[in-house]
Amino acid sequence: MLSDSETAELLSFLTPSTRPDVKGHAIEYILGLSGNRDGCHFLRSKPDLIVALCALTTDPSIVIVKNCYHIIINLSADETLHNVLVADVKVLPLLVKNFVDPEFPHSDQISTILSNLTRHKKTCKTVFKVLQEEEVGLAKLVDMFCTEGYNKNAKLHYLGPLLSNLTQLPEARNFIMDKDRCVVQRLLPFTQYQASVTRRGGVIGTLHNCCFDHVHHEWLLSDAVDILPFLLLPLAGPEELSEEDNEGLPVDLQYLPEDKKREEDPDIRKMLLETLLLLTATKAGRKTLKDKNVYPIMREFHKWEKDVKVSATCEKLVQVLIGDEPEEGMENLMEVEIPEDVEDKLKEADIKEQQELEEEQKKQEEEQKKKNNDANLTDRQQESGLTL
Amino acid sequence: MASPAGEHDSDDGWDEFFDKFKTQEYKNAFKPDTWEEEFDKIPMFMKTAPEEFDPQEYPELACLQALIHDEDMSPEEKAKSLKDEGNAFFKEKNYKKAVLAYTAALKVDCGDQELATVLLTNRAAADFHLGNMRAALNDAAAAKKINPNHLKALIRGAQCCIELRNFSEAIQWCDEGLKAHPTDKKLQDVRLTADKLKRAAERDARKAKIKEKRLQSEKEVLLAAIKDRGIKLLQSAKPSQRGSDSEDEDGGSSAAISELSLDGLSSQEIVGAQVFLDEQGSLHWPVLLLYPEHQQSDFISAFCESNCFIDHLAVMFGEELPPWDVDRKYNTQNLQLYFEDEEKETIYQIKPESSLLDVLQHKRYFIKAGTPSFIILVNGSAFKKHFLTGKKIKKL
Repeated sequence: MLSDSETAELLSFLTPSTRPDVKGHAIEYILGLSGNRDGCHFLRSKPDLIVALCALTTDPSIVIVKNCYHIIINLSADETLHNVLVADVKVLPLLVKNFVDPEFPHSDQISTILSNLTRHKKTCKTVFKVLQEEEVGLAKLVDMFCTEGYNKNAKLHYLGPLLSNLTQLPEARNFIMDKDRCVVQRLLPFTQYQASVTRRGGVIGTLHNCCFDHVHHEWLLSDAVDILPFLLLPLAGPEELSEEDNEGLPVDLQYLPEDKKREEDPDIRKMLLETLLLLTATKAGRKTLKDKNVYPIMREFHKWEKDVKVSATCEKLVQVLIGDEPEEGMENLMEVEIPEDVEDKLKEADIKEQQELEEEQKKQEEEQKKKNNDANLTDRQQESGLTL
Repeated sequence: MASPAGEHDSDDGWDEFFDKFKTQEYKNAFKPDTWEEEFDKIPMFMKTAPEEFDPQEYPELACLQALIHDEDMSPEEKAKSLKDEGNAFFKEKNYKKAVLAYTAALKVDCGDQELATVLLTNRAAADFHLGNMRAALNDAAAAKKINPNHLKALIRGAQCCIELRNFSEAIQWCDEGLKAHPTDKKLQDVRLTADKLKRAAERDARKAKIKEKRLQSEKEVLLAAIKDRGIKLLQSAKPSQRGSDSEDEDGGSSAAISELSLDGLSSQEIVGAQVFLDEQGSLHWPVLLLYPEHQQSDFISAFCESNCFIDHLAVMFGEELPPWDVDRKYNTQNLQLYFEDEEKETIYQIKPESSLLDVLQHKRYFIKAGTPSFIILVNGSAFKKHFLTGKKIKKL
């Protein structure tokens, strides 16, 4: 890496008055550093450089500005850089101030950085604190998220993961699920947002986190919020259900057209199923899901699902839906006390299941590879003119 | 009992006083026979505001007019007074009058934007109760333009959108409102209602679409079944539409088939009856039997294609003869069945033992208005002779 004197020289190039070409090269060099782990670690020890870069985000050259943001994005992706960025470079207030400006041209970059910084709980808490200090509440963020075209120059899709990350914190969850406001309701339609998998995933991640608080389940499942259809729609398909099955479903799931597509991203599908599973923790939740005819949707989904891991989660959900009610005292599955030896056995079973799933997946991949190889072989044989 | 002398005197005096009322009226008394009418004219006791605005008859309501034309009041006072009049009418649920008052107030351009917002919102409310949703929505929007955070205007606007079944717009109004008033219960309730109605309407649209598709495919299956049998449907279309190959016998039938459309199945004569395909794959047709001799007809609502004419005729003419058969000659064995090929001016005689399908498949048989019809004549009758004169007759 660079020596101290080289670093000092590099720093001297990062001023607004430096010749643009020298400045540009210096920044490109740092961009390269930020692209790999060692480079990032080096930069971690040189907060002055990062401070200078932040200042250059107001540089008249658009290329320089873009590169500076790119560097910060890379740095923020590395968790070990978070403390430096937040505490030493104090990057947050500036980012947040610009973020809410509907005219600001680099809001997409900012949302990516904030989304990275909120990945892990510690820095997430700091980010949340700064948001409060800068008077950018969650209300503002939700508003920006839900307003189509809030910023003409930025798509703001990364607001999705940002919100999702923030809901690691109970304060954020409480705000989103505030009964006296209308917050979570405004997020629900985005579970079907076709134009961006990032946005969609962010919303579903948010809902997933929110469902860990089972005290809110009844409200979430009630008409005041009605979370269930929005979790089921991405999993529901075009298959025609009988009139009887249809009429028992929530309104949004009835009579789906024949071109209805299911969620394409398997991770998101898995997250949806896990959220539904969370909602079955309470007796009331289980009853609601059973009453609202969730089972036929899952039945059709299971027939369609090819991914092994997602299928397994679906099966878990189906088990709860068609299984008997647990005995008294065990009704809230999240509050059941599991004796230690049982817990160990369950952990073992989990590990075993995970291994089986991975083996299954490997098998699938190998079969696919083999198919590809066979196809290649045939091609080659044809090319070499061999007759069989 | 003895009464003191003085009281005796005043008793007389009181009696005198009371006696006076028997003969003298007090000033401004109600007349005994019209007291109810007069009672009703006093604003305090009025039950309903009068429709006619005759200032002579109803001096109190004329104050609206007076206010409008008052020279001495400042614009602000005028506007406020007119607003108060409007509010009073509103409380009595006299919304039409309220709108008039608010409109008059708005016309007084006194530059008070806050007052204007209130007036527009109030007028919107009055129009809302009158069912004038568009007018109400316009006023709510105008109020919102002046003051984007005016809660009542936002709520009213959303409610108008709901009544106009524009649910997405209603939700937009609510979301705008919730930005400034995030915890307002009414806004949240209206939003919830709009959202529910929107999703129900979407479901209804989906359901209708699926039903339409199903009906469409059922119709296509039906048409295919008819076409497969080589049966030809005639539309009310002119023969000129049939194309140049209508002369050619085979071409004629294919041209007619190519004209097969869903309209060809509608029966103009008998509403509600239509050909249908049963579960075993047989067609059942609505059939008209015509008796031109007596200008009568019989309608068979579902004649299965595999059934024979004789079966139906035996039932219809076997036991009792119809009342219009004055000559008592329409016995089953005397009946003869025909259909007419109008284009070629030919009459074809049908054997009663034939099945409906046999006849329908005849290359010169065209079904009009989705209802096959056949002519019945009595063998040996004078009418038959007359009817068949001049026509080409062919046997099937």
